[in-house]
Parts: sequence; C-alpha cells; structure tokens
Amino acid sequence: MTDDPILIFESVVKRYGDLTALDGVSLTLRRGEVVCLIGPSGSGKSTLLRCANALDPVDEGRIRFDGHEVKSTESSVRLVRQRMGMVFQNFELFPHLTVLRNITIGPTTVLKLGHAAADERAKKLLAKVGLSDKALSYPSALSGGQQQRVAIARALAMEPALMLFDEPTSALDPETIGEVLSVMKTLADEGMTMLVVTHEMDFARRVADRVAVFDKGRVIEEGAPQEIFTNARVARTRDFLSHLGWHGEGAASVSKREEA
Amino acid sequence: MDINIQPILQSWPFLLKALMMTILVSALSTLLGFAIGVIVGALRTYGGRFANIVLGFYVDSMRAIPLLVILVWTFFAFPLVIGHSINAVTAGIVGLGLHLGAYVSETIRAGLTSVRRNQMQAALALGMSPFQAIRTIILPQAVIRMLPALGSLCVIAIKDSAIASVIAVPELLRQTQIVAGKTFRPFELYTAAMLCYFILCYPMARGVDRLYRRLAHLGSS
Repeated sequence: MTDDPILIFESVVKRYGDLTALDGVSLTLRRGEVVCLIGPSGSGKSTLLRCANALDPVDEGRIRFDGHEVKSTESSVRLVRQRMGMVFQNFELFPHLTVLRNITIGPTTVLKLGHAAADERAKKLLAKVGLSDKALSYPSALSGGQQQRVAIARALAMEPALMLFDEPTSALDPETIGEVLSVMKTLADEGMTMLVVTHEMDFARRVADRVAVFDKGRVIEEGAPQEIFTNARVARTRDFLSHLGWHGEGAASVSKREEA
Repeated sequence: MDINIQPILQSWPFLLKALMMTILVSALSTLLGFAIGVIVGALRTYGGRFANIVLGFYVDSMRAIPLLVILVWTFFAFPLVIGHSINAVTAGIVGLGLHLGAYVSETIRAGLTSVRRNQMQAALALGMSPFQAIRTIILPQAVIRMLPALGSLCVIAIKDSAIASVIAVPELLRQTQIVAGKTFRPFELYTAAMLCYFILCYPMARGVDRLYRRLAHLGSS
C-alpha cells in the first residue's frame, strides 16, 4: 500500500426522488488498499459503488479516479469503467455465452484484444479462480459460488486498477461463500485495490485495511478493522455490530470454536 | 370425384419455379422484416422519446392497414410517388417486409425490455458502449427469449407471401391459379399448393419450437 490515492469521493450526494441515498460521503481509497463498506441495508453502500463507475450519476460533489473526474455524461466514462472491475451481488454473468466467452467478451469488444490472446488470458484467470474445467460450460450449469468466481475472472480480464465488489456473497448459499471469499483474499494479498460492500464481518476484519461504517447515507465511522470491531467510537456502529451478533473479536473466535 | 394428377405432372417445372419464387419472396421479406424489426425495436426501446413516437406511428399504421392494401399500394400507388414503376417481386418483398417489420419490432421490444436491467449495467461496467452492450449482451438474450414468437412470425411471412399473388408476383398460389384455370383441375392443383405451404411451414414451426427448448436456458439471466 502506498499513500497514492486512486479513488476519491468528495462530499458525494445522490438522491432518488425524495430519498437521499448518499448524504455527503467523502472517502479516499489508496492504491493497493482494501476498504470494506459495512452498515445496515439501505444505508447507501451499494449506491456509492454504483456512483464510483458512474452507473449512477451523482447529484452533488465529485468523484476522482486516478486524477480524473468521473462524469457519467462524458464518453470518457467508458475509459474509467474499463479500469474498474465490478462484481455484482447477483453475478450478472451473460447467460448466452460460455464461461470462457463471458471472460473474453470485455477484452475483445472493448480492448480490441485478439481472440487468441483473450482466450489465453481467460484461461489463466479461470485457473486462478479454480474453474479451468468449466471453460466451455454455460453459466446456468454452474453453482452460485462458481458463477461469482467467473464474474470475478470476467472483471479481472480487463486488468483493472481497482475492483468494486457489491455484496459479492449475499446471494450465495452458505457453503459456497468461502470459495468466493478466498478468491477475494488472494486478490487482496496480491495487492489489488478493492472497495468491498459486504456483510461478511469476518472477511472485513481479516482482509480490510480500513472499514467504513455507513448509516443513512453517511459514513459514520472509519478506521482500521480492529478499531471498528473491538473499539467502535460511535454508538450506532456498536449497535449495528451487536445486531449482527458481533460482540468483539474475542467473542467471535469463541463462537467459532464452539461451531468447530 | 375422379382425381387426375396429370396436370401437375405436366406443369411441374412451372410450379416448381413458382415454389422457388415463394421461398425467395418469403426469405427476402423475412430478412427485410427482421432487419427493420431489430432496428425499430431497439430504437424504440433505447432511442428516446422522439424515436419512440415516430417509429410507434410506423408500427401502429402497419397494424392498422390490411397487408393486402399495403401490397396493392406499394405496387400501384407508390410508383406514382417515385416516378417510375417497380417490378411486382420487389414491391411484394418490400410490402411484406415493411408489414412484418412492425410485428417483429414489437416482439424484439418486448424481449429487450424483459432482460434484467443489471445485465446492461454489467456490460457497461466492462466499459462497453451502449451499442456494444445491446448488440452483444442484451439483443441475443432477447432473441432467444422471443424465439417462439419470432418463429411464428417467420411462418406467417411464408403464408402471407401468398397474398402477393394479387399484384402478380409469380409465386406458388398465383401460378397454381394459372394452371388450374388452364386445365380445369382446381381440386388437384389447389390441394397440391396447400400441401406445399404445409410442408414449408410445419417443419419451420416445429423446428423453432425444438430449437427454443434447447436454447431457452441461454436466455434466462
């Protein structure tokens, strides 16, 4: 990790009609850093992600990516999106394409990479996410966890500078969550810059460099995971964590031992 | 009733040529209709309010005017607009294609709208332009989902080519009429023509159904 900021949110406001989804969010993501966004449903975490690559335009404030302002109205937004991988809650694999083609379609249509080179890149990524044998399958033949791993490979195929994860394990069966989280952990260990919306507190605690807690469209607390999880300063954070059954690190590891 | 297939045997090269014309007219009007339908359907879905209103008028007029009238107008009235005559086959293909295009566009539009919004977002998130996303991600899924309806429209295109007989396109029904008139054997000839249409259309309908059953899972995001 360096001190070099790659993604900066400056007082971002986003409204849907009367609802203010983001109410002045400022957050900085440095190169190589893993930041997890946690907080109750509807608190604006996913909206922030969708604003980051301008799938949703912001109403006020600005977002800077790698020194350039992200503007949904300009065609340059496509260059920004090429360099920001995004992983969706419901995978959003393309059902009419094979696993391999799902991964190569970005590089071939957007980066104009040749098919042979794109196939080679895709095969390496499939090996990385442990799905080399599924290259010619269609998404409908894959489990949720497998689909999500393909979706991660699809995003990586664009060789992004940053990865956005929007609740990547929320739609998964409990037994397949682990395989997706370990792929994400590997990415983090390799130095990928990641912004992760998650309800997996254990993942946030172990992998994140920083955790930002959202409530009602604002970042109410931000800090290193051990601070947030063991020593949250804001009452609302403690409240949220205890509703999840999280009573500090010690308690979590005790309950884990009991499960084992 | 005695049955005499002699007239069919005698004039089979003439009738075979007519059958080929039916296939040609159907194929080209289907091609034209699908090209129009995909473009109009996509523009009405993604092209904004103005395109939607203008093209909506085209679709509604095609649905409000009988195909027979469109064909007759294209062949007899349209040449007066452009100042020179057009041959019957061209007029037939254009008229049938324009008519079919309206129905195809509505089917395509329904298909495009049915694809989950997040599929578009996933494509855009890869850096695709809206056009690339529609062409490579949304449209293929829409077409797969709409295969049964599009297959029916193909069958209708073949059947409707018979209406082009009124503007003297030398297709199967028209040429059958000629032979039937000359030989006074309407029963044999029209029955043969009927069988020909059935043989063309039935496998098409069944084939598309079978294809859909094999491909349906590829369209369900």
